[in-house]
Amino acid sequence: MIDTIIRIRDGGGFVEFPGSFPEDATVLDALETLRARAEADVPGAGVEGPGTGRGGAPTVRVPHYRHSCHHGSCGTCGAVVNGLPALMCLTRLADLAAPRPREPGGPPAGPVRGTSGELVVVLEPLRRGTVISGIAARPTAALAGIPEEYSYLRSSEDAGRAPPPADPTRAAAPGGLSAGSAGPGRVRFEACIECGLCSSACPVTTPFIGPAALAAVNRQREKSPDSAERMLEVAGKPDGAPACERHLHCSRVCPQAVYPGKHIQLLRNALAGRAQ
Amino acid sequence: MFDPPILSRHDARICVAGGGGSGAALAYDLALRGFSVLLVEKGEFTSGTTGRHHGQLHSGARYAVGDRAIARECMEETLVLRRIAPQALEYNGGIFAAIRDDEADYAPAFISACLEAGIPAREIPVSEARVSEPALNPRTKRTVWVPDGTIDAFRLAASFLAAAAALGAELRAFTELVGIETGGGRIRGGTLRGPDGREERVSFDGLVSATGAWAGRVGSLAGLDIPVTPAPGTMVAVRGRLSDLVLSRLAPPGDGDILVPQRGLSVIGSTQRRADSPEGILPTKEEIEFLLSRGDELVPGFSSAPFHAAWAAARPLAGRADSDAEGRAISRDFAVLDHGDEGAAGMFTLIGGKATVLRAMARKAADEVCAFLGDPEPCRTAEYPLPSWRSLDGYLEGSGATGRGAGSRRPEGGAA
Repeated sequence: MIDTIIRIRDGGGFVEFPGSFPEDATVLDALETLRARAEADVPGAGVEGPGTGRGGAPTVRVPHYRHSCHHGSCGTCGAVVNGLPALMCLTRLADLAAPRPREPGGPPAGPVRGTSGELVVVLEPLRRGTVISGIAARPTAALAGIPEEYSYLRSSEDAGRAPPPADPTRAAAPGGLSAGSAGPGRVRFEACIECGLCSSACPVTTPFIGPAALAAVNRQREKSPDSAERMLEVAGKPDGAPACERHLHCSRVCPQAVYPGKHIQLLRNALAGRAQ
Repeated sequence: MFDPPILSRHDARICVAGGGGSGAALAYDLALRGFSVLLVEKGEFTSGTTGRHHGQLHSGARYAVGDRAIARECMEETLVLRRIAPQALEYNGGIFAAIRDDEADYAPAFISACLEAGIPAREIPVSEARVSEPALNPRTKRTVWVPDGTIDAFRLAASFLAAAAALGAELRAFTELVGIETGGGRIRGGTLRGPDGREERVSFDGLVSATGAWAGRVGSLAGLDIPVTPAPGTMVAVRGRLSDLVLSRLAPPGDGDILVPQRGLSVIGSTQRRADSPEGILPTKEEIEFLLSRGDELVPGFSSAPFHAAWAAARPLAGRADSDAEGRAISRDFAVLDHGDEGAAGMFTLIGGKATVLRAMARKAADEVCAFLGDPEPCRTAEYPLPSWRSLDGYLEGSGATGRGAGSRRPEGGAA
């Protein structure tokens, strides 16, 4: 078990919760446990506000946070965790007890400790997110530049596999990859889960559609020859690839190894090739 | 462009409690039928059970032997979802694999039940299955192809929410229904507590609780006793896309018998136990170890792949926790309870069910609401492809985000 102090941003201040959690517990597991505990003490207190718990001790509501899939698929539980944008569902308390950068691109540093040696976990909303309440923030601006024609499906890595068995239901529901791409082969979702960690970490202060949008622009360019020219137009605008300052913090914090910085470089290369 | 016609407008305002998959589909269905809709969710949308489900798009094959009607409905709904929400699905089909001798013996009954339910299951040579999915256990004795697939649970639900919002439904996250008001034997309104903790009284003419495993708690606000049992199931994801097709055991439904690929992950599930409360449910070490070993049976080496995550969610099983039926024996069918005889006419509770049939659940609940109000309107949610989940955030922030093309909206002051 790890003795922990979880400090959660709530408006202008922080609310603090002591607790002891298993080493393999994630930050999200810890928040869920705290919230369930608060609700059990005072029904509704986990979501409704200050109250009084068992034995007269005050129960403080756990500030709001977003979560859905608990396995790094939905992209909702992003937060700034001890200075670094991260998905709370994939960040274990044990990870925070080990040396870790305290800001994007920073050098690893030892864990933050409380006065009695507890592991201190500081949770803040994602930068550039739209804060709803507590640390619940939607990365709306980070995703606003994703082109409407960007398809979330791509061909699966076939790894030498034979085509899937014939499918008599295709006629009733064509679905799958859209026309112009690789045909009705094996499909999967794009790697990007649209969590907005990349934009939260990005230091650029001039107008910029951001790393997630540019990664999507490049993926669509790569997948669909029909889209390529339009995608390059988007990428070539002043708030597109030219706004990137190559800090690469986006690639460092991406939980899905999308490496947005790489996609931006590929767009630069394609733009340069087109200019010649 | 998502722009379905509203055939007629109704004055009635309907509150949907619960922002999971079925609440999302219901908000859209009611909005498309011309009603004024208010959806409230106490946490973030899909933060209850929806987001944490296994992610299987069920052809119905799993249920065919036990219940042809449920299986048939799954098959019909997979086809609808594949038409209206292709971007939220990885549809590649599935294989049921017999590893043991008794599983091989199950094949004929399984296939004939599927065919009776309208599911085009067919036996394929094991050699063909293994060329298609080489990770499948080489000791596999028989293989049956079925039209299964993978759902992105969050994005499917969010697409329905975006559709509802586009038609004017009011969607409120982090807003809890904390009081239900009745008068003269019918629903009059309720009290909402918003993200800032402030309470507000709202009027509505109908209320559907689509709160899944939380239905007991919401029902108690109206003095109702709702027979629903939180039944947590655990899932384990390892890194690596070990297959593209969903792999299942050719056997009656059990634990740890389905492997669902999703992006770069492979997810084995699930388990089933019962809980008193749906809150704060976490997987146990025993469940995780069990699931990893079951994964090895379908795909040898599964447990040696890098561990990614384990999670648990409370299925909303219709029925009592103290009933004798074991969890798996409780039907996965859904029901709409009408509370008209309990002094709360106009209130309905949607219980049971599963993600694949969320649209059918919504249709049935909306039909009940229409019948109660005396405003018959047909369900049309199968007719229109849903808008992108990405348009949802714009609606939630009040900018009515339609046509957010690249570069058409620029965030202010720096990197998006």
